[in-house]
Amino acid sequence: MRQRIGVYICHCGGNISDYVDVEELSKMFHKEDGVVVSKDVMFACADSNQKAMVEDIQQYNLDAIVVASCSPKLHLHTFRAVAGRAGLNPNNYVQVNIREQCSWPHSDRPREATVKAAGLIRAGINRVVYSEALDSIEIEVKKAAMVIGAGISGMKAAIDLARAGNEVYLVEKDYFVGGHIAQQEKLFMTGQSGKEIVKRLYDEMKSYKNITVFTGATVSKVTGSLGSFNIEVKVKPRFINGKMDKQSVKRVMDDCQVTVRDRFNEGLTTRKAIYKNYPEALPDVPVVDMEALRDHPDFLEKHKAVINPNEQEETIALLAGSVLVTTGFDNYEPKEGEFGYKNIPNVITLPQLNRLMELSPEKLVYNGKEIRSVAFIYCVGSRQKKGENKYCSRQCCTSTIYTALQLKEKYGKIQNYHLYRDIRTYGKQEILYDRASKQGDLFFKYEEKELPTVEMNGNAITLKVKDYLTNKKELEITPDLVVLVTGMVARADAPHISELFKIPIGNDKFFNEIHPKLKPVETVIKGVYIGGTCQGPKNVSEAVQSSLAGASKITALLKSGTVMGDPVVARIDADVCTWCGKCAEVCDYTAIRETITKAGKHIAGVNRSVCTGCGICAPVCPVNAIEVAKYTDHEIEAMIDGFAAEVEIREEDVSAVNEGKEDFVAAHMKEYPQIWKDILDTLDTEKKTIPEMVDTLNMAPEMVTWHLMTMNKYGVVSPAGTNDKEEYYYYKIK
Amino acid sequence: MNKQQNNNYDTLVIGGGIAGQEAALSLADMNHKVLLVEKGLSIGGKMIQLSKVFPTLDCAACITTPKMSETARHPNITLMLNSEIDGIDKTADGDFDINITNKPRYVIQENCTGCQECEVVCPEVRSDEYNTNLAGRKVAYIPFSLANPRIATIDRQDHSAPCINACPGGVKAYGYITLARNGQYEEAMKLHLEDIPFPGSLGRACYHPCQSACTRGMVEEPVDIRKIKRYFSDWYYEKYPQAPSVETKEKTGKKVAVIGSGPAGITAAYHLALKGHTVTIFEAAPAAGGMLRLALPEYRAPKDVVDRDLQNITVLSVDIEVNKKITDLKSLKEQGFDAVFVGIGTHKATASGTAGSDLKGVIDCLTFLREANIGKREDLTGKKVMVIGGGNTAIDAARTSLRLGAEKVIVVYRRSREEMPCFAPEIEEAEEEGVEIRVLRNPVQYIGENGQLTQIRLTKMQLGEKDASGRRSAEPIAGSEYVEEVDYVIEAIGLRADTAAFGGQVELNRNGTIRTDATTLQTSVEYIFAGGDTVTGSTTLIEAAGQGKKAAFYMDKWLRGMQMHDFEEGDKLPAIDKQIVLNRFKGEKRPQVKNAVIPLAERARSWEEVEKTFTEEEMKASTQRCLDCSNCRECHQCVNICPANAIDFSQKTKTVEIKAKSVVVTTGYKLFPPSAKPNYGYTKYANVIDAMQMDRLIAPTRPFNNVLRPGDGKVPDNIAYILCTGSRDSAIENGGCVSDCSNNPICSQICCMYSIKQAQLLMGALPMADITIYYMDIRAFGKGYEEFFQQTKGMGTNFVKGKVAKIRETDDGKGDLIVRYEDVTKGVVKEARHDLVVLSVGVVPNKEVPQMFRGEILALDDFNFVKQTDELVSPALTSIEGVFVAGAASGPKDIPDSILSAGCAASEVAGYLSRKEALLDDKKGRFTIMQQATKGKSILQQ
Repeated sequence: MRQRIGVYICHCGGNISDYVDVEELSKMFHKEDGVVVSKDVMFACADSNQKAMVEDIQQYNLDAIVVASCSPKLHLHTFRAVAGRAGLNPNNYVQVNIREQCSWPHSDRPREATVKAAGLIRAGINRVVYSEALDSIEIEVKKAAMVIGAGISGMKAAIDLARAGNEVYLVEKDYFVGGHIAQQEKLFMTGQSGKEIVKRLYDEMKSYKNITVFTGATVSKVTGSLGSFNIEVKVKPRFINGKMDKQSVKRVMDDCQVTVRDRFNEGLTTRKAIYKNYPEALPDVPVVDMEALRDHPDFLEKHKAVINPNEQEETIALLAGSVLVTTGFDNYEPKEGEFGYKNIPNVITLPQLNRLMELSPEKLVYNGKEIRSVAFIYCVGSRQKKGENKYCSRQCCTSTIYTALQLKEKYGKIQNYHLYRDIRTYGKQEILYDRASKQGDLFFKYEEKELPTVEMNGNAITLKVKDYLTNKKELEITPDLVVLVTGMVARADAPHISELFKIPIGNDKFFNEIHPKLKPVETVIKGVYIGGTCQGPKNVSEAVQSSLAGASKITALLKSGTVMGDPVVARIDADVCTWCGKCAEVCDYTAIRETITKAGKHIAGVNRSVCTGCGICAPVCPVNAIEVAKYTDHEIEAMIDGFAAEVEIREEDVSAVNEGKEDFVAAHMKEYPQIWKDILDTLDTEKKTIPEMVDTLNMAPEMVTWHLMTMNKYGVVSPAGTNDKEEYYYYKIK
Repeated sequence: MNKQQNNNYDTLVIGGGIAGQEAALSLADMNHKVLLVEKGLSIGGKMIQLSKVFPTLDCAACITTPKMSETARHPNITLMLNSEIDGIDKTADGDFDINITNKPRYVIQENCTGCQECEVVCPEVRSDEYNTNLAGRKVAYIPFSLANPRIATIDRQDHSAPCINACPGGVKAYGYITLARNGQYEEAMKLHLEDIPFPGSLGRACYHPCQSACTRGMVEEPVDIRKIKRYFSDWYYEKYPQAPSVETKEKTGKKVAVIGSGPAGITAAYHLALKGHTVTIFEAAPAAGGMLRLALPEYRAPKDVVDRDLQNITVLSVDIEVNKKITDLKSLKEQGFDAVFVGIGTHKATASGTAGSDLKGVIDCLTFLREANIGKREDLTGKKVMVIGGGNTAIDAARTSLRLGAEKVIVVYRRSREEMPCFAPEIEEAEEEGVEIRVLRNPVQYIGENGQLTQIRLTKMQLGEKDASGRRSAEPIAGSEYVEEVDYVIEAIGLRADTAAFGGQVELNRNGTIRTDATTLQTSVEYIFAGGDTVTGSTTLIEAAGQGKKAAFYMDKWLRGMQMHDFEEGDKLPAIDKQIVLNRFKGEKRPQVKNAVIPLAERARSWEEVEKTFTEEEMKASTQRCLDCSNCRECHQCVNICPANAIDFSQKTKTVEIKAKSVVVTTGYKLFPPSAKPNYGYTKYANVIDAMQMDRLIAPTRPFNNVLRPGDGKVPDNIAYILCTGSRDSAIENGGCVSDCSNNPICSQICCMYSIKQAQLLMGALPMADITIYYMDIRAFGKGYEEFFQQTKGMGTNFVKGKVAKIRETDDGKGDLIVRYEDVTKGVVKEARHDLVVLSVGVVPNKEVPQMFRGEILALDDFNFVKQTDELVSPALTSIEGVFVAGAASGPKDIPDSILSAGCAASEVAGYLSRKEALLDDKKGRFTIMQQATKGKSILQQ
């Protein structure tokens, strides 16, 4: 039982105190049993307040603290660390969330928000009374990282992780590494070839002995947790005899007449059933499309020395201390009929155009017709108010404009039309926009509510757009090619990965980080990080930056071989447990196994480093033998009692404007500047507005404002309501 | 703050903004030793100034203060604030030698608790940078409440006032003028007593170099600083006839002997005693005070004032033994004194050697004045007296002669009046009293009868060429000699140090002065220090006192066994350029206040003080003439109030040399200076502000009580945002801001979103207000940004696609603004009235960065941001191997992108640092692809 409790209630600089009467609450809890210190503070998280808390804990010999502020997601660790620094067990700390749970959702009803906050804080105090001093669990971490996805983000992260001394497993679903950049002849902003970058990174990876790359490989099963993720990887067969020399393999490829749709070329071409994505694709071992060749037994028989149709998928178990997910994105696939897609010839997507350009060195020809004009329709599948994808795909504007520049550069006379909503060539990319305008590209702005239409008129495409730059005048264009600028969407297999690793997915269906600024590459699953475009649309450079940010977190995590884990885990009462196994069945983390006590009794055993403290095991236990530390029945019941207790709050207008200014006492300020004295003279007898003061002072109004506000900041004057029109505040001497 | 024992680091991170903190933390978490150098007073960068951040509307402080806290506390991170990189050199072994200037805060970091007492008491207000100059802050201040480290700073701006700078004794004239102006006489006195213990005498007899340096002198006449001092010292002595007890530092147990109780000796004794040493003064004369008592005539410095001045020293338990002439310095050591200070002045008058100088009636000035002051006053009634010499002592002797009854007093000086070393007002006063000045004359012979002087033979002189000292030599004119009757001659031609007895004990100079180390004033004997006229030759009271103070400073270090040369005495900074002060002076000419003097008829024969003290009104009027030259008044109210004894004006700029294996540049960006778009009227119209100012206005820590117009405090209800101010703009006039801005064709990447964020916050803060955003394209490209934009639109913010050409103020005096813009969607030019306009200013590069690198050049891109040499694959690489870049130093970035880029840089640095032990494969080919082969698990070799 904790009996010397400190309570800190945060203003959050107005976020809370604008609606919740924190001062009143801090007074209220002064009188609470066991509470020794009760304070309201401007920013509980500020360093100065942290210092003050440490002093309080030591001075008043506190044995537990409660901070009522924001979500524990944000600052649980901050205040646990404070407790730790003051010599208190970090678990004798409870955070009460009165921002997300009181001030923000109930801003329209400040009084009720305050009552609710009072209940929650009292519940927190009651809970901390029963809090136990728990020691962190030391978790061994395997100095190995798994990177999932060998696009540029994954490869680059694998290299950095290996350089830092970690064992690295890079798992790629495709048979070849490189991801989307290999499909780009030239990448903005540098104009580098995607394929060359892939080769460069591949060669660099090869120079490290601690990187193992798995291609044609997918993660099939994940158990364990931070420090020791047991991951099963399924490696699909290539059906190629690995012992054969390259020449023999090539002969078989040349001999193959069976073709299939070439996914690498976005379906613009076909490829052989024994293929590489492109001639220089890496690893330099082709793959047999066995589906397509099953019907050609003669061919298979002929080349049985090279092709092994019976090769089986292999499952490999790997142990990794941490995981970086860099699975990337899919291109949005327009619906049939969306701007004529698939119904009207010569309507293609931007990724298709990019492939087409690489495949067309001299002239740009599509469907047998030389292309002399191209119309780009932007935001296809992006920024949809009512559609699925509300978000902006970030890189498509620049990508399109870059492509438009390449079109002109490569093929000479081509007229580009851009039908856009906002051109988002942010940052230095703006230069490309400028260049596109200067080369004669035409830009028309449309709005979502009046989309352009694509129709076939005889042999020609008619594109109609209401141009918002010319007073919504309807324009007709007849381009040779319509290119739909499709954005990035979450990969089709994202839900599967999410399921395996328990990574949350956002509204946009991309993986969700914990917090875009505080923890941008961390997921709620400890030890699992996300990088690159699986988290959201990014350009190449941004994707690499985010995956390397993840790599740096992993290197830090794996550096010492151990990490300290949260002691909030399930506990088994060995006396009560009868090992029925129900708990193990429900445990998502396989943290519970049957164990035998020294006395020979069969009970449930909890793997404390795997257990996440999710608590699902506790309610299914028929004999009530399981509890989760920090969430014991005692604590929960006490919280309920606390929350249900009657709250009496002084009747006062708690919505009064709270001045978020620094709290100064003017009393000792011996010399005021002359202007301050003059201002104070005018306020001697009555409150005044600034224009009223200006009248008597004969000074420029901005000077009076400046000085008055400085005096306000230093607490020499204070506001005293507004005038009738609510245009100006009155001020008085404080 | 963590102390690194040696100065070797794995990484130097330059800039403590969000990117710098993140990079430092990431590297520190990987066990790398990081030095984070920040130019400002706190880490936090621009982010800590923000209200909330898009698109989550978290308050910026909530996000960034934990990071700041973690950075400041991390055991692998050393913070160096208020510091600038002077130069980074790459060494042959690939490491970096880095020179850093660490500027003083004038606050002892370890002691300061951030209590803000100093800020409350500080009387001076300056513009508050943290609040984007919307309000003021004190000169002693904590940069902002969430600063980390939260430590006060005295903003001295690298200069002192000219008066303070000019004082050889380090007395803070500007400080005590400020205090006296405010009626804080006791505080003024205490401020003086921090440096020199005899303000009573100085208020009367100081030749006040402060006053000669006073900037006001360039307007009409200097502030009467000496008389102000006299006022408050008289006030104080009247209030405290007995010196109140003073706390000294803890006793050191060291004993110091001070020889001589003149200005140098008593000042040395005073400071030594304050520092906890036990001091005994030995004085040869029958009364203490040296020249103060022996040479200053009563009518200039009454003896009771000297007595009271001396009490300031004796109250510290300093013993003064009079009539005790010390000749054997070594014996003092034997008596148990640990150190000796020799300050015996120049008590030997130079003899002229003129024939007949042994006649009765010929006397040297020192003997004459000493007799008049403490011995028998000779009756000169009815006598004709000649004083030979043109210095202060000569004039003192002349005026003293008048008071002893002389009928006629003539000062004879061999050069012209211009060359007279005496202080001009003294000469004037003497003349008023009836003293006759005869220049270009020199005695040749004293003629007497029966051993008694009766006549003097004088020769006329003429001035020759300037000599080495810059003075014109005086040469007798042949045949011009003549004889004149005279009763009494006082020779006042120079004073010398009487150090003959010390010859052989300490090294002397040829003129008899004691030879010392120029800095420490230590003599050739380790434990003996010397100062004042004994060392410098005859000077002034305040110069001698300054020497005593300086000697005490170094003696204290020596007595404590410290290396004296590690310390620099004094807290003076260079004087501010007076022209700056004059340029801002808008007042009118107002000559000095003339206070009363005793009527001439009475004074010439009276020992009464000639000059009266100021009345309070006269004193106040005098203080009002002060032009408030320097930024800090040096009134030391902060020093006195600080409960932690943390304020230390003697801190000096330090240069630090460190070594680092790698460098991360996170120097961030600068905001586009909106005055470079003069058509938008920033600074011209009070209600045109920039977006950072608006962020301050809506921040929880805002300087105002609400969102108010800076022009008149009105609650705005129709606010306009002008996006792309200084971005995507190739029509920027380069006149106003020289290097800070130029055409900026790129997009600043953050302005759309921060403006949208502000619009949302404003709709919450001012529900009735209309908000219009004038934009070209809305660039809501990050995760959740488009949704945030649509939400804001849905809430009622008015988005107008159009470029604003011009902003002007309305004619009705209401301070509202007319925005003239092209409505692009309608193709027409329109005007709209708003009561507050916010310029959404863009991002421009921080141009200080490339100058930090010596030798190898840090390449910049076309827009002067740090060039990312491998932008796509290794975004943190720069043109110098081992130097990495993160955050907005390489181009505009929002906060999440900056944080990611910092993590990226950390990763690349870590890889770079491990390059020596990198796990390169010696046998290529162990790189493997797992693949199912024909038989079981085999591996396909690549």
